[in-house]
Amino acid sequence: MEKSKLFEKISGSLIEMEEDKVVELCKKSLELNIPVYETITSGLIAGMDEVGRLYEEEEYFLPEVLICSDAMKAGLDVVKPYLKADDMGKPIKVVIGVVEGDTHDIGKNLVGIMMETSGIEVYDLGRDVPLDKFVKKAEEVEADIIGMSTLMTTTMDGMRTVIEKLEAENIRNKYKVLIGGGPISQKFADMIGADLYTKDANSAVREIKKIVWG
Amino acid sequence: MNQKERLLKVLARKEVDRPPVICPGGMMNAAVSEIVTDLEKNHNADKKTMVQIAKKVYELTGFENYGVPFCMTVECEPCGVKVNLGNKNIEPRVTEYNKNQIEDIMKKKINPKQEKRMSVVLEAINKLKNDNIPVIGNLTGHISTATSIIDPLQSFKMLHKNPEKIYNFFKYVNNYLIDYALEMVKAGADVIAISDPSATGEILGAKNFEKFAVPFYKKIVEKLHEVDVPVIIHICGNTKVIIDSLNLIDTNALSFDSVVNIEFAKSRLKTNVMGNVNTQLLHRGRKDKIIAATKNCINKGVDIVAPACGLSMATQIDKLKIMTDFVREGAYR
Repeated sequence: MEKSKLFEKISGSLIEMEEDKVVELCKKSLELNIPVYETITSGLIAGMDEVGRLYEEEEYFLPEVLICSDAMKAGLDVVKPYLKADDMGKPIKVVIGVVEGDTHDIGKNLVGIMMETSGIEVYDLGRDVPLDKFVKKAEEVEADIIGMSTLMTTTMDGMRTVIEKLEAENIRNKYKVLIGGGPISQKFADMIGADLYTKDANSAVREIKKIVWG
Repeated sequence: MNQKERLLKVLARKEVDRPPVICPGGMMNAAVSEIVTDLEKNHNADKKTMVQIAKKVYELTGFENYGVPFCMTVECEPCGVKVNLGNKNIEPRVTEYNKNQIEDIMKKKINPKQEKRMSVVLEAINKLKNDNIPVIGNLTGHISTATSIIDPLQSFKMLHKNPEKIYNFFKYVNNYLIDYALEMVKAGADVIAISDPSATGEILGAKNFEKFAVPFYKKIVEKLHEVDVPVIIHICGNTKVIIDSLNLIDTNALSFDSVVNIEFAKSRLKTNVMGNVNTQLLHRGRKDKIIAATKNCINKGVDIVAPACGLSMATQIDKLKIMTDFVREGAYR
Protein backbone atom coordinates (compact mmCIF):
# COMPACT_ATOMS: atom_id res chain seq x y z
CA MET A 1 0.00 0.00 0.00
CA GLU A 2 1.22 3.47 -0.80
CA LYS A 3 2.30 5.59 2.11
CA SER A 4 -0.12 8.42 1.42
CA LYS A 5 -2.98 5.97 1.02
CA LEU A 6 -2.17 4.41 4.37
CA PHE A 7 -2.05 7.82 6.08
CA GLU A 8 -5.40 8.64 4.57
CA LYS A 9 -6.83 5.40 5.91
CA ILE A 10 -5.41 6.06 9.36
CA SER A 11 -6.90 9.54 9.60
CA GLY A 12 -10.14 8.31 8.02
CA SER A 13 -10.55 5.48 10.57
CA LEU A 14 -9.66 7.85 13.38
CA ILE A 15 -12.32 10.31 12.29
CA GLU A 16 -14.80 7.41 12.03
CA MET A 17 -13.96 6.50 15.65
CA GLU A 18 -12.70 3.04 14.66
CA GLU A 19 -10.02 2.45 17.22
CA ASP A 20 -9.27 -1.16 16.22
CA LYS A 21 -8.71 -0.16 12.63
CA VAL A 22 -6.40 2.67 13.62
CA VAL A 23 -4.33 0.22 15.67
CA GLU A 24 -4.24 -2.31 12.87
CA LEU A 25 -3.17 0.32 10.31
CA CYS A 26 -0.49 1.67 12.61
CA LYS A 27 0.92 -1.85 12.94
CA LYS A 28 0.89 -2.08 9.17
CA SER A 29 2.91 1.15 8.94
CA LEU A 30 5.59 -0.46 11.09
CA GLU A 31 5.64 -3.57 8.88
CA LEU A 32 6.10 -1.32 5.86
CA ASN A 33 8.98 0.48 7.58
CA ILE A 34 7.32 3.85 7.22
CA PRO A 35 9.06 6.44 9.40
CA VAL A 36 7.12 6.71 12.60
CA TYR A 37 7.05 10.50 12.76
CA GLU A 38 5.39 10.54 9.34
CA THR A 39 2.68 8.16 10.50
CA ILE A 40 2.11 10.35 13.54
CA THR A 41 2.00 13.69 11.75
CA SER A 42 0.39 12.73 8.43
CA GLY A 43 -1.91 10.00 9.76
CA LEU A 44 -2.82 10.45 13.41
CA ILE A 45 -2.38 14.19 13.95
CA ALA A 46 -3.91 14.94 10.54
CA GLY A 47 -6.95 12.90 11.60
CA MET A 48 -7.26 14.74 14.90
CA ASP A 49 -6.95 18.07 13.09
CA GLU A 50 -10.00 17.12 11.08
CA VAL A 51 -11.80 16.02 14.27
CA GLY A 52 -11.00 19.43 15.73
CA ARG A 53 -12.45 21.10 12.67
CA LEU A 54 -15.62 19.00 12.88
CA TYR A 55 -15.88 19.98 16.53
CA GLU A 56 -15.55 23.67 15.75
CA GLU A 57 -18.19 23.32 13.06
CA GLU A 58 -20.53 21.56 15.51
CA GLU A 59 -20.65 18.32 13.59
CA TYR A 60 -18.80 16.51 16.34
CA PHE A 61 -19.42 17.06 20.03
CA LEU A 62 -17.67 16.05 23.22
CA PRO A 63 -18.48 12.29 23.07
CA GLU A 64 -17.16 12.00 19.50
CA VAL A 65 -14.00 13.97 20.26
CA LEU A 66 -13.28 11.79 23.29
CA ILE A 67 -13.61 8.58 21.32
CA CYS A 68 -11.47 9.86 18.44
CA SER A 69 -8.79 10.91 20.89
CA ASP A 70 -8.82 7.44 22.42
CA ALA A 71 -8.32 6.00 18.93
CA MET A 72 -5.48 8.44 18.40
CA LYS A 73 -3.82 7.44 21.67
CA ALA A 74 -4.19 3.73 20.85
CA GLY A 75 -2.49 4.32 17.51
CA LEU A 76 0.22 6.35 19.17
CA ASP A 77 0.88 3.53 21.66
CA VAL A 78 1.61 1.21 18.74
CA VAL A 79 4.10 3.39 16.91
CA LYS A 80 5.66 5.53 19.61
CA PRO A 81 8.14 2.90 20.92
CA TYR A 82 9.75 2.97 17.47
CA LEU A 83 10.03 6.74 17.33
CA LYS A 84 13.59 8.08 17.18
CA ALA A 85 14.23 10.58 19.93
CA ASP A 86 14.67 13.78 17.92
CA ASP A 87 12.40 12.98 14.99
CA MET A 88 9.52 15.06 16.24
CA GLY A 89 11.57 18.08 17.29
CA LYS A 90 11.26 19.68 20.69
CA PRO A 91 7.65 19.51 21.84
CA ILE A 92 5.76 22.44 23.31
CA LYS A 93 5.22 21.85 27.02
CA VAL A 94 2.06 22.97 28.74
CA VAL A 95 1.06 22.83 32.39
CA ILE A 96 -2.71 22.92 32.79
CA GLY A 97 -5.26 22.72 35.57
CA VAL A 98 -8.52 24.00 37.03
CA VAL A 99 -7.78 26.72 39.59
CA GLU A 100 -8.26 26.24 43.30
CA GLY A 101 -11.85 26.21 44.54
CA ASP A 102 -13.32 24.76 41.37
CA THR A 103 -13.76 21.13 40.39
CA HIS A 104 -15.39 21.52 36.97
CA ASP A 105 -12.91 19.90 34.65
CA ILE A 106 -14.68 18.75 31.50
CA GLY A 107 -13.48 21.79 29.57
CA LYS A 108 -9.94 21.54 30.87
CA ASN A 109 -9.84 17.83 30.03
CA LEU A 110 -10.99 18.51 26.50
CA VAL A 111 -8.30 21.17 26.05
CA GLY A 112 -5.71 18.73 27.43
CA ILE A 113 -6.82 16.03 25.02
CA MET A 114 -6.74 18.32 22.01
CA MET A 115 -3.26 19.48 23.02
CA GLU A 116 -1.91 15.98 23.53
CA THR A 117 -3.31 14.73 20.28
CA SER A 118 -1.63 17.55 18.41
CA GLY A 119 1.76 16.59 19.78
CA ILE A 120 1.96 18.99 22.71
CA GLU A 121 3.40 17.63 25.96
CA VAL A 122 0.73 18.14 28.62
CA TYR A 123 1.27 18.18 32.38
CA ASP A 124 -2.24 18.02 33.79
CA LEU A 125 -2.45 19.11 37.43
CA GLY A 126 -6.12 18.14 37.63
CA ARG A 127 -8.81 20.19 39.34
CA ASP A 128 -8.99 22.33 42.46
CA VAL A 129 -5.27 23.03 41.97
CA PRO A 130 -3.47 25.15 44.62
CA LEU A 131 -2.21 28.26 42.85
CA ASP A 132 1.44 27.76 43.83
CA LYS A 133 1.44 24.43 42.08
CA PHE A 134 1.04 25.99 38.63
CA VAL A 135 4.26 27.95 39.00
CA LYS A 136 6.15 25.14 40.71
CA LYS A 137 5.29 22.56 38.07
CA ALA A 138 6.03 24.95 35.19
CA GLU A 139 9.48 25.60 36.64
CA GLU A 140 10.07 21.91 37.23
CA VAL A 141 9.24 20.74 33.70
CA GLU A 142 10.46 23.89 31.96
CA ALA A 143 7.08 24.52 30.41
CA ASP A 144 6.35 27.01 27.66
CA ILE A 145 2.76 27.62 28.65
CA ILE A 146 0.74 27.76 31.85
CA GLY A 147 -2.93 27.06 31.13
CA MET A 148 -5.64 27.75 33.71
CA SER A 149 -9.34 27.11 33.56
CA THR A 150 -12.38 27.77 35.70
CA LEU A 151 -16.13 27.64 35.28
CA MET A 152 -16.89 29.77 38.28
CA THR A 153 -16.73 33.51 38.69
CA THR A 154 -15.66 33.15 42.32
CA THR A 155 -12.42 31.44 41.39
CA MET A 156 -11.48 33.57 38.37
CA ASP A 157 -9.30 35.85 40.45
CA GLY A 158 -6.98 32.94 41.22
CA MET A 159 -5.70 33.31 37.67
CA ARG A 160 -4.57 36.83 38.41
CA THR A 161 -2.82 35.58 41.55
CA VAL A 162 -0.79 33.08 39.51
CA ILE A 163 0.33 35.82 37.13
CA GLU A 164 1.29 37.99 40.10
CA LYS A 165 3.30 35.11 41.53
CA LEU A 166 5.22 34.80 38.27
CA GLU A 167 5.92 38.52 38.34
CA ALA A 168 7.03 38.43 41.96
CA GLU A 169 9.49 35.68 41.16
CA ASN A 170 10.75 37.55 38.09
CA ILE A 171 9.86 34.70 35.77
CA ARG A 172 6.82 36.18 34.05
CA ASN A 173 8.66 36.33 30.71
CA LYS A 174 9.50 32.65 30.76
CA TYR A 175 5.91 31.62 30.22
CA LYS A 176 2.90 32.42 28.13
CA VAL A 177 -0.25 32.28 30.21
CA LEU A 178 -3.37 30.79 28.65
CA ILE A 179 -6.76 31.09 30.35
CA GLY A 180 -10.22 29.80 29.53
CA GLY A 181 -13.58 28.60 30.87
CA GLY A 182 -17.22 29.67 30.99
CA PRO A 183 -16.97 33.13 32.59
CA ILE A 184 -13.57 34.03 31.09
CA SER A 185 -13.38 36.58 28.29
CA GLN A 186 -10.75 38.42 26.27
CA LYS A 187 -11.53 41.45 28.38
CA PHE A 188 -10.74 39.56 31.58
CA ALA A 189 -7.55 38.19 30.02
CA ASP A 190 -6.45 41.73 29.14
CA MET A 191 -7.34 42.94 32.60
CA ILE A 192 -5.17 40.40 34.42
CA GLY A 193 -2.41 40.41 31.81
CA ALA A 194 -2.81 36.88 30.46
CA ASP A 195 -1.20 36.26 27.07
CA LEU A 196 -3.93 34.20 25.54
CA TYR A 197 -7.63 33.52 25.82
CA THR A 198 -9.53 31.25 23.46
CA LYS A 199 -13.16 30.29 23.49
CA ASP A 200 -12.70 26.61 22.67
CA ALA A 201 -10.22 23.77 22.84
CA ASN A 202 -9.30 23.59 19.20
CA SER A 203 -8.47 27.26 18.85
CA ALA A 204 -6.40 27.00 22.05
CA VAL A 205 -4.15 24.49 20.32
CA ARG A 206 -3.90 26.59 17.18
CA GLU A 207 -3.10 29.78 19.04
CA ILE A 208 -0.54 28.10 21.30
CA LYS A 209 1.39 26.91 18.28
CA LYS A 210 1.24 30.41 16.88
CA ILE A 211 2.59 32.15 19.96
CA VAL A 212 5.27 29.59 20.76
CA TRP A 213 6.53 29.04 17.25
CA GLY A 214 5.81 32.60 16.14
CA MET B 1 -52.68 38.40 43.27
CA ASN B 2 -50.06 36.95 45.60
CA GLN B 3 -46.67 35.64 44.50
CA LYS B 4 -47.71 32.03 44.51
CA GLU B 5 -50.81 32.68 42.44
CA ARG B 6 -48.81 34.79 39.98
CA LEU B 7 -46.14 32.16 39.37
CA LEU B 8 -48.63 29.30 39.11
CA LYS B 9 -50.80 31.30 36.73
CA VAL B 10 -47.88 32.08 34.44
CA LEU B 11 -46.87 28.44 34.44
CA ALA B 12 -50.45 27.53 33.50
CA ARG B 13 -50.23 30.06 30.63
CA LYS B 14 -52.83 32.33 32.22
CA GLU B 15 -52.72 36.10 32.21
CA VAL B 16 -50.97 37.97 35.03
CA ASP B 17 -50.33 41.62 35.95
CA ARG B 18 -46.54 41.38 35.52
CA PRO B 19 -43.88 38.69 35.19
CA PRO B 20 -42.72 37.09 38.44
CA VAL B 21 -39.04 37.44 39.29
CA ILE B 22 -37.59 34.28 40.79
CA CYS B 23 -34.38 32.42 41.51
CA PRO B 24 -35.47 28.80 41.74
CA GLY B 25 -32.70 27.32 43.88
CA GLY B 26 -30.55 24.26 43.21
CA MET B 27 -27.96 25.10 40.61
CA MET B 28 -29.55 28.55 40.33
CA ASN B 29 -29.68 29.61 43.93
CA ALA B 30 -29.23 32.99 45.58
CA ALA B 31 -27.64 31.73 48.80
CA VAL B 32 -24.67 34.01 48.15
CA SER B 33 -21.81 34.51 50.61
CA GLU B 34 -23.35 37.63 52.14
CA ILE B 35 -26.42 35.58 53.07
CA VAL B 36 -24.77 32.42 54.39
CA THR B 37 -22.24 34.19 56.53
CA ASP B 38 -21.98 33.50 60.29
CA LEU B 39 -23.88 30.22 60.27
CA GLU B 40 -23.45 27.68 63.01
CA LYS B 41 -24.34 24.76 60.79
CA ASN B 42 -24.00 24.10 57.08
CA HIS B 43 -27.05 25.28 55.17
CA ASN B 44 -26.58 22.46 52.67
CA ALA B 45 -26.95 19.73 55.26
CA ASP B 46 -28.85 20.99 58.29
CA LYS B 47 -32.63 21.26 58.03
CA LYS B 48 -33.14 24.29 60.25
CA THR B 49 -30.32 26.21 58.61
CA MET B 50 -31.62 25.29 55.15
CA VAL B 51 -35.05 26.69 56.02
CA GLN B 52 -33.51 29.76 57.63
CA ILE B 53 -31.41 30.50 54.53
CA ALA B 54 -34.30 29.93 52.11
CA LYS B 55 -36.28 32.52 54.08
CA LYS B 56 -33.34 34.89 54.29
CA VAL B 57 -32.83 34.67 50.51
CA TYR B 58 -36.50 35.54 50.05
CA GLU B 59 -36.45 38.44 52.47
CA LEU B 60 -33.19 40.02 51.41
CA THR B 61 -32.97 39.51 47.65
CA GLY B 62 -36.54 40.17 46.61
CA PHE B 63 -36.85 36.97 44.60
CA GLU B 64 -40.46 35.86 44.79
CA ASN B 65 -40.04 32.26 45.86
CA TYR B 66 -38.54 29.88 48.36
CA GLY B 67 -36.16 27.39 46.81
CA VAL B 68 -34.13 24.49 48.18
CA PRO B 69 -31.55 23.03 48.18
CA PHE B 70 -28.64 25.32 47.27
CA CYS B 71 -26.43 22.88 45.43
CA MET B 72 -26.29 20.03 42.93
CA THR B 73 -24.90 17.27 45.09
CA VAL B 74 -27.97 15.96 46.94
CA GLU B 75 -29.01 13.72 44.04
CA CYS B 76 -25.71 11.93 43.42
CA GLU B 77 -24.75 11.50 47.06
CA PRO B 78 -26.72 8.28 47.68
CA CYS B 79 -24.71 6.55 44.95
CA GLY B 80 -21.37 6.28 46.71
CA VAL B 81 -19.62 9.51 45.79
CA LYS B 82 -17.64 11.76 48.09
CA VAL B 83 -19.05 15.25 48.53
CA ASN B 84 -17.36 18.28 50.01
CA LEU B 85 -20.18 20.29 51.56
CA GLY B 86 -18.53 23.63 50.88
CA ASN B 87 -18.50 26.77 52.97
CA LYS B 88 -19.67 30.35 52.74
CA ASN B 89 -17.56 30.99 49.65
CA ILE B 90 -17.70 27.74 47.75
CA GLU B 91 -20.68 25.57 46.89
CA PRO B 92 -20.75 21.86 47.63
CA ARG B 93 -19.00 19.73 45.05
CA VAL B 94 -18.23 16.10 44.25
CA THR B 95 -14.64 15.30 45.08
CA GLU B 96 -14.57 11.60 44.28
CA TYR B 97 -16.62 9.60 41.79
CA ASN B 98 -17.83 6.06 42.37
CA LYS B 99 -15.35 3.82 40.59
CA ASN B 100 -17.43 0.64 40.75
CA GLN B 101 -19.15 -0.99 37.80
CA ILE B 102 -22.42 0.60 36.76
CA GLU B 103 -24.24 -2.70 37.30
CA ASP B 104 -23.13 -2.70 40.92
CA ILE B 105 -24.01 0.94 41.48
CA MET B 106 -27.50 0.24 40.14
CA LYS B 107 -28.13 -2.50 42.71
CA LYS B 108 -28.90 0.07 45.37
CA LYS B 109 -32.58 0.84 45.79
CA ILE B 110 -32.85 4.49 46.68
CA ASN B 111 -35.59 5.65 48.97
CA PRO B 112 -35.45 9.47 49.08
CA LYS B 113 -37.02 9.65 52.53
CA GLN B 114 -34.27 7.51 53.96
CA GLU B 115 -31.36 9.27 52.32
CA LYS B 116 -29.70 11.74 54.61
CA ARG B 117 -29.70 14.95 52.63
CA MET B 118 -32.70 14.16 50.44
CA SER B 119 -34.73 13.84 53.61
CA VAL B 120 -33.31 17.13 54.89
CA VAL B 121 -34.52 18.83 51.69
CA LEU B 122 -37.94 17.17 51.99
CA GLU B 123 -38.35 18.29 55.58
CA ALA B 124 -37.19 21.80 54.69
CA ILE B 125 -39.81 21.99 51.93
CA ASN B 126 -42.43 20.89 54.42
CA LYS B 127 -41.42 23.65 56.81
CA LEU B 128 -41.43 26.26 54.05
CA LYS B 129 -44.85 25.31 52.69
CA ASN B 130 -47.31 28.22 52.82
CA ASP B 131 -50.17 29.93 50.98
CA ASN B 132 -48.48 33.05 49.60
CA ILE B 133 -44.92 32.30 48.54
CA PRO B 134 -44.29 29.55 46.02
CA VAL B 135 -41.96 26.80 47.18
CA ILE B 136 -39.71 25.41 44.44
CA GLY B 137 -38.16 21.99 44.83
CA ASN B 138 -34.97 21.74 42.81
CA LEU B 139 -33.59 18.74 41.02
CA THR B 140 -30.34 18.09 39.21
CA GLY B 141 -31.20 16.36 35.94
CA HIS B 142 -30.35 12.74 35.20
CA ILE B 143 -27.33 13.43 33.00
CA SER B 144 -25.65 15.79 35.45
CA THR B 145 -26.47 13.43 38.31
CA ALA B 146 -25.19 10.37 36.45
CA THR B 147 -22.00 12.19 35.43
CA SER B 148 -21.50 13.23 39.04
CA ILE B 149 -21.72 9.59 40.13
CA ILE B 150 -19.31 8.17 37.57
CA ASP B 151 -16.49 9.86 35.67
CA PRO B 152 -18.13 12.22 33.15
CA LEU B 153 -15.64 11.51 30.37
CA GLN B 154 -16.27 7.78 30.67
CA SER B 155 -20.01 8.35 30.58
CA PHE B 156 -19.84 10.59 27.53
CA LYS B 157 -17.81 8.00 25.65
CA MET B 158 -20.39 5.39 26.50
CA LEU B 159 -23.00 7.32 24.53
CA HIS B 160 -21.23 5.83 21.51
CA LYS B 161 -19.41 2.83 22.81
CA ASN B 162 -22.04 1.37 25.06
CA PRO B 163 -25.25 3.29 24.47
CA GLU B 164 -27.58 0.70 26.01
CA LYS B 165 -25.65 0.46 29.22
CA ILE B 166 -25.48 4.21 29.77
CA TYR B 167 -29.13 4.58 28.73
CA ASN B 168 -30.08 2.09 31.43
CA PHE B 169 -27.99 3.96 33.96
CA PHE B 170 -29.72 7.22 33.03
CA LYS B 171 -33.03 5.41 33.44
CA TYR B 172 -32.07 4.16 36.89
CA VAL B 173 -31.03 7.66 37.94
CA ASN B 174 -34.10 9.29 36.41
CA ASN B 175 -36.40 6.82 38.15
CA TYR B 176 -35.10 7.70 41.58
CA LEU B 177 -35.15 11.39 40.66
CA ILE B 178 -38.84 10.96 39.86
CA ASP B 179 -39.44 9.34 43.26
CA TYR B 180 -37.55 12.20 44.91
CA ALA B 181 -39.50 14.84 42.97
CA LEU B 182 -42.81 13.24 43.91
CA GLU B 183 -41.76 13.23 47.55
CA MET B 184 -40.95 16.94 47.20
CA VAL B 185 -44.48 17.47 45.95
CA LYS B 186 -45.91 15.51 48.86
CA ALA B 187 -43.81 17.62 51.21
CA GLY B 188 -45.33 20.78 49.78
CA ALA B 189 -43.38 21.88 46.70
CA ASP B 190 -45.55 23.98 44.38
CA VAL B 191 -43.16 23.83 41.44
CA ILE B 192 -40.25 21.57 40.47
CA ALA B 193 -37.26 23.08 38.69
CA ILE B 194 -34.75 20.86 36.92
CA SER B 195 -31.24 21.95 35.91
CA ASP B 196 -29.00 19.68 33.91
CA PRO B 197 -25.83 21.60 33.04
CA SER B 198 -23.95 18.57 31.72
CA ALA B 199 -26.68 17.95 29.16
CA THR B 200 -26.21 20.99 26.96
CA GLY B 201 -26.49 20.89 23.21
CA GLU B 202 -22.93 22.14 23.12
CA ILE B 203 -21.62 19.13 25.02
CA LEU B 204 -23.86 16.43 23.59
CA GLY B 205 -24.98 17.63 20.16
CA ALA B 206 -28.56 17.46 18.94
CA LYS B 207 -28.71 13.72 18.23
CA ASN B 208 -27.45 12.67 21.62
CA PHE B 209 -29.64 15.26 23.31
CA GLU B 210 -32.71 13.82 21.65
CA LYS B 211 -31.74 10.26 22.43
CA PHE B 212 -30.36 10.53 25.96
CA ALA B 213 -31.91 13.68 27.43
CA VAL B 214 -35.35 14.37 25.98
CA PRO B 215 -37.11 11.04 26.77
CA PHE B 216 -36.13 11.28 30.42
CA TYR B 217 -37.24 14.88 30.80
CA LYS B 218 -40.52 13.93 29.16
CA LYS B 219 -41.02 11.13 31.62
CA ILE B 220 -40.33 13.20 34.71
CA VAL B 221 -42.55 16.05 33.46
CA GLU B 222 -45.36 13.57 32.74
CA LYS B 223 -45.13 12.13 36.24
CA LEU B 224 -45.24 15.59 37.81
CA HIS B 225 -48.14 16.67 35.63
CA GLU B 226 -50.06 13.63 36.83
CA VAL B 227 -50.02 15.24 40.27
CA ASP B 228 -50.70 18.71 38.79
CA VAL B 229 -47.34 20.21 39.54
CA PRO B 230 -45.71 22.49 36.97
CA VAL B 231 -42.10 22.02 35.90
CA ILE B 232 -39.37 24.47 34.92
CA ILE B 233 -36.38 23.13 33.05
CA HIS B 234 -33.18 25.15 32.87
CA ILE B 235 -31.05 24.59 29.80
CA CYS B 236 -27.42 25.66 30.05
CA GLY B 237 -25.32 27.09 27.25
CA ASN B 238 -26.37 27.84 23.73
CA THR B 239 -29.53 26.08 22.60
CA LYS B 240 -29.14 26.66 18.88
CA VAL B 241 -28.72 22.99 17.99
CA ILE B 242 -31.41 21.65 20.31
CA ILE B 243 -34.10 24.34 20.23
CA ASP B 244 -36.61 22.28 18.27
CA SER B 245 -36.21 19.16 20.38
CA LEU B 246 -37.15 21.24 23.42
CA ASN B 247 -40.69 21.37 22.09
CA LEU B 248 -40.89 17.60 22.55
CA ILE B 249 -40.77 18.09 26.32
CA ASP B 250 -44.13 19.28 27.57
CA THR B 251 -42.66 21.47 30.28
CA ASN B 252 -44.32 24.61 31.74
CA ALA B 253 -41.29 26.84 31.30
CA LEU B 254 -37.83 26.69 29.82
CA SER B 255 -35.11 28.77 31.41
CA PHE B 256 -32.10 29.90 29.38
CA ASP B 257 -28.55 31.08 29.65
CA SER B 258 -27.74 34.67 28.70
CA VAL B 259 -26.23 33.62 25.36
CA VAL B 260 -29.70 32.67 24.20
CA ASN B 261 -31.65 35.32 22.33
CA ILE B 262 -35.08 35.43 23.96
CA GLU B 263 -36.86 36.60 20.82
CA PHE B 264 -35.42 33.65 18.93
CA ALA B 265 -36.38 31.23 21.71
CA LYS B 266 -39.90 32.66 21.93
CA SER B 267 -40.36 32.37 18.20
CA ARG B 268 -39.48 28.68 18.19
CA LEU B 269 -40.93 27.41 21.46
CA LYS B 270 -44.47 26.65 22.52
CA THR B 271 -43.99 27.09 26.23
CA ASN B 272 -43.08 29.88 28.67
CA VAL B 273 -39.60 31.29 28.51
CA MET B 274 -37.72 32.20 31.67
CA GLY B 275 -34.49 34.10 32.08
CA ASN B 276 -31.98 35.41 31.45
CA VAL B 277 -30.23 38.27 33.20
CA ASN B 278 -26.50 37.74 32.82
CA THR B 279 -25.03 36.45 36.08
CA GLN B 280 -21.63 38.06 35.54
CA LEU B 281 -23.41 41.35 35.16
CA LEU B 282 -25.22 40.67 38.43
CA HIS B 283 -21.84 39.98 40.02
CA ARG B 284 -19.78 42.85 38.64
CA GLY B 285 -22.08 45.13 36.65
CA ARG B 286 -23.19 48.68 37.33
CA LYS B 287 -26.73 49.48 38.47
CA ASP B 288 -27.82 51.03 35.16
CA LYS B 289 -26.53 48.03 33.20
CA ILE B 290 -28.39 45.58 35.44
CA ILE B 291 -31.58 47.57 34.97
CA ALA B 292 -31.04 47.75 31.21
CA ALA B 293 -30.49 43.98 31.00
CA THR B 294 -33.56 43.23 33.11
CA LYS B 295 -35.66 45.61 31.05
CA ASN B 296 -34.36 44.04 27.88
CA CYS B 297 -35.44 40.57 29.06
CA ILE B 298 -38.94 41.84 29.76
CA ASN B 299 -39.18 43.72 26.48
CA LYS B 300 -38.07 40.68 24.55
CA GLY B 301 -40.92 38.80 26.17
CA VAL B 302 -39.69 36.58 29.01
CA ASP B 303 -42.63 35.21 30.95
CA ILE B 304 -40.60 34.85 34.15
CA VAL B 305 -37.58 37.01 34.98
CA ALA B 306 -34.65 35.13 36.51
CA PRO B 307 -30.85 35.03 36.54
CA ALA B 308 -29.46 33.34 33.44
CA CYS B 309 -27.41 30.73 35.26
CA GLY B 310 -25.91 29.88 38.64
CA LEU B 311 -25.01 33.02 40.58
CA SER B 312 -21.48 33.56 41.76
CA MET B 313 -21.42 33.31 45.54
CA ALA B 314 -19.59 36.62 45.56
CA THR B 315 -22.65 38.39 44.09
CA GLN B 316 -23.85 41.21 46.35
CA ILE B 317 -27.40 41.23 47.67
CA ASP B 318 -27.76 44.85 46.54
CA LYS B 319 -27.15 43.88 42.93
CA LEU B 320 -29.87 41.24 43.08
CA LYS B 321 -32.20 43.79 44.66
CA ILE B 322 -31.69 46.12 41.71
CA MET B 323 -33.01 43.43 39.41
CA THR B 324 -35.91 42.30 41.59
CA ASP B 325 -37.00 45.82 42.55
CA PHE B 326 -37.11 46.81 38.91
CA VAL B 327 -39.47 43.95 38.05
CA ARG B 328 -41.60 44.27 41.17
CA GLU B 329 -42.06 48.03 40.93
CA GLY B 330 -43.15 47.71 37.32
CA ALA B 331 -41.14 50.79 36.32
CA TYR B 332 -40.69 49.37 32.82
CA ARG B 333 -44.32 49.89 31.94
